[in-house]
Amino acid sequence: MNNKFQNLEERVQYLKEKAKEVRINIIDMIFAAQSGHPGGALSAADIVTALYFDILKIDPKNPHWPERDRFILSKGHACPVWYSCLAMRGYFPVKELKTLRKFESILQGHPDMLKTPGVDITTGSLGQGLSLGVGMALEGKLVKKNYHIYVILGDGEINEGQIWEAAASASKYELDNLIAIIDKNKLQMDGFTNKVMPMDPIDKKFMAFNWYVVTINGHNMKEILIALEKAKKIKGKPVCIIANTVKGKGVSFMENIREWHGKAPNQQEYKKAIKEIEESNNEVK
Amino acid sequence: MKLSKADMATRQAFSERMLEYGAIDKDFVVFEADIGYSTYSYLFGEAYPDRYFNMGIAESNTMAAAAGMAADGRTVVVCSYGVFITMRAVEAMRTFICYPNLNAKFLSSHGGVTPAIDGVTHQATEDIGIMTLLPNMKVLVPADTEAAKKMFDVAIETPGPIFVRLMRDPLFNIYSKEENFELEGSKTIREGKDVTVVTYGDIVFQALEAADELEKENVSIEVIDMYSIKPFDKKSLLNSISKTEALLVVEDHQKRNGLGYELSNFCLKNKPVIFDNLGLDDTFAESGNYYKIIDKYGISKKQIFNKVKELIHKKGG
Repeated sequence: MNNKFQNLEERVQYLKEKAKEVRINIIDMIFAAQSGHPGGALSAADIVTALYFDILKIDPKNPHWPERDRFILSKGHACPVWYSCLAMRGYFPVKELKTLRKFESILQGHPDMLKTPGVDITTGSLGQGLSLGVGMALEGKLVKKNYHIYVILGDGEINEGQIWEAAASASKYELDNLIAIIDKNKLQMDGFTNKVMPMDPIDKKFMAFNWYVVTINGHNMKEILIALEKAKKIKGKPVCIIANTVKGKGVSFMENIREWHGKAPNQQEYKKAIKEIEESNNEVK
Repeated sequence: MKLSKADMATRQAFSERMLEYGAIDKDFVVFEADIGYSTYSYLFGEAYPDRYFNMGIAESNTMAAAAGMAADGRTVVVCSYGVFITMRAVEAMRTFICYPNLNAKFLSSHGGVTPAIDGVTHQATEDIGIMTLLPNMKVLVPADTEAAKKMFDVAIETPGPIFVRLMRDPLFNIYSKEENFELEGSKTIREGKDVTVVTYGDIVFQALEAADELEKENVSIEVIDMYSIKPFDKKSLLNSISKTEALLVVEDHQKRNGLGYELSNFCLKNKPVIFDNLGLDDTFAESGNYYKIIDKYGISKKQIFNKVKELIHKKGG
């Protein structure tokens, strides 16, 4: 691969440290708000960290830089992970994170392009983000710019039929500037995805729509980086990265537990969660 | 007032102007959902294939993809039928276009019961209510082909989301080429002193026909084409009802949440007058001949004629 690859280990180490900080911010802000969605934010933490601290071509001082890569959090309820990364990259002060979901905050309950610097497009209604990404990718092709559009999807929201309308249209227009990443944490609000609405095999479905599909461990930073680098090089078709993840990853009592989809920790749980993240050794389990 | 038959429907006129305008403004793009030969958006698609996106029979994805493109500042036109664009795609329209106030224009064909022979599935008799409810959305309804052409320019040149309701079939020519149309404008097509009749779209013709019949009985009605439904022309309405002291709103739409509801609310607050409205009365229509349908569902010249006489009676005249 490219020169960067020789420094892959260093990049991975740096990102692991950043992901820890992102997770602490997620818990901090949801605790401060006493509301929010920790499970899906923690499962996406490594992927979003890799994007914001390594992959994305962005300029936090110039959020509307026309050449920038676009990021869409289709599973908008996981926004604490996005807000953490945006704050840490300098789009707004980190202390703003504590205003999550509060009256007149720049950090709305779901991502809002009118209120939050660095948010290119409003999301939160599930199943819409891939279509928005298709539109942004068509725009990129029309203006002949080389930026990429990264869309984070939940494995629950792909129940929505519109995801498959978007999948077909991305393939029709050969949108190789569109990269969808499915945060496959195997839980949705009402329970396990394979019980609520089985969608497997997801990889074969996207392949059948003529997408280039890669499956990775979504908590292994090395795999994440390699997949994202590869995705940028694919020509002629959109890319879907299926990232196997754990809902609530990094906080033992939240992991794989349905109830932590949309619940804030109490004082005791908060302290335990922060301690666990701080003391974690970054190893992939 | 003898009106000539139109040689094309408003949907075609609007799209023909869109094609012409494509050469004037080289930046806007058009989204279609596989009814391009019906909305006539195919004309634009043939001339500007790079600026035309046919997303197939998938209105939700079409709308959200259009929003994605508009989010970068581009002006988009989204074409479909009223029923589909205002219902199946309404959430994307609300959250991703109206909320951020993006430059999206909606070519919405088959408005009201004008797709009469197609039946209920294709008759958009709730579109105005749904569209006017959305913050930032503006709503226009041209009554003839000249108005449709001019309203394309209004839509594309006015910032923000604008919904334009168009008709399936050709009706009658009402306006000359010299007429101008603007947002928050209206046309007082016929002056009168007894009752103000406010309407829009296909029913303008019915109101004019009723006016001719009423004239024979020495009743004079003022006919206002309220082509800009949201925002509407408050000044002209106030002027007219101050003179007539009676208002009848007639529309090819559900009575509930239509222009009639809007104007009755306005009158109650600002200038209470004798009032009534005609429209679909909490019911769906059916397949069949357009003229038979508007008659059966209470929005034809005959019902306007009768209702005007009723209002005059209420006035004590």
